[in-house]
Amino acid sequence: MSNQRVSRRQFLNYTLTGVGGFMAAGMLMPMVRFAIDPVLKAEAGGDFITTGTAEDEITDVPTRVDFTFEQVDAWYTSEVTQTAWVYKDGSGKIVALSPTCKHLGCTVNWEGNPDEPEHFFCPCHNGLYEKSGKNVPGTPPTAPLDMFEARVSDDGILQLGPVVPNTIVK
Amino acid sequence: MLWNAQEIDLFLKEKAYIDTVVIPLLPVSISDGTRQEAEQAEFISLLTAMLERQFKGRMLLIPAFTYMTSRDHRAKIEELKSWCDELSAQGFAHTVCITSDTSWKGHEEELDANIIWMPSIPLHHMDDKYKRKIVDDQVNQLIKIIVQKWQSA
Ligand code: FES
Repeated sequence: MSNQRVSRRQFLNYTLTGVGGFMAAGMLMPMVRFAIDPVLKAEAGGDFITTGTAEDEITDVPTRVDFTFEQVDAWYTSEVTQTAWVYKDGSGKIVALSPTCKHLGCTVNWEGNPDEPEHFFCPCHNGLYEKSGKNVPGTPPTAPLDMFEARVSDDGILQLGPVVPNTIVK
Repeated sequence: MLWNAQEIDLFLKEKAYIDTVVIPLLPVSISDGTRQEAEQAEFISLLTAMLERQFKGRMLLIPAFTYMTSRDHRAKIEELKSWCDELSAQGFAHTVCITSDTSWKGHEEELDANIIWMPSIPLHHMDDKYKRKIVDDQVNQLIKIIVQKWQSA
């Protein structure tokens, strides 16, 4: 036991300061939040979703990875499944391309047309993209495929983040 | 494209590229069949929504053609026929009807449309992973049928 006895007055002082502190924090927090809200938002939007794919399963051939997460809009919470085409580039970096065609939004497939090996193919109006996602001129799409931010978790599982414009097409 | 204000704007702008329209056919009754019909509606809606996602840029998914199960069969066919005629007059090259209702079997020739019949699968007892697999398989079948249709046109 400690010899420093806490007097009744000290005890009350401590407790009241403590409670007061919480009350002050309770009042201040919303204000602070409001002030730095954009910062918090950016972080929330930057959530990564863990897929069911391990890093060492990823090869240099684009492979379909499905991942599911909960999406909340104004009325419903729904389970959304998204797809990415994932592969490792020459330097071993993971590339995760969005399958949404930049023409009118159909889903593209790797080698979806047997006559166009090594390309992503859009069945809707014969859109073509190179492996990097670069759109092939002369086909309807006018921009390269978007990509997901990708990273690997500590235990070696692929995680995918928000969709961003393609950064590997030069 | 989906039947909502935002996507319809895009549809109107890019109409030339959207040559296929999808109509779910859904029976409704309050009787012994209600349960099955609700199941069908759930299944067909899910299926058509996933199909639309694959082919968003070339197909328009419109609200379902719904009818009372007890409705006279001829009247039903006539009504659907008028939908199909109108849609093809509006410039759609392909009209695809998707249903689990067996009563449509064998009536394709009368309509200027494809009727694709999918056996309804009761999804509500399945766990999510299995459910997704089953629906994926069905959607893949549909995709094949539709791509074939496009290619043979
Ligand atoms: S939507 Fe992909 S080419 Fe038109």
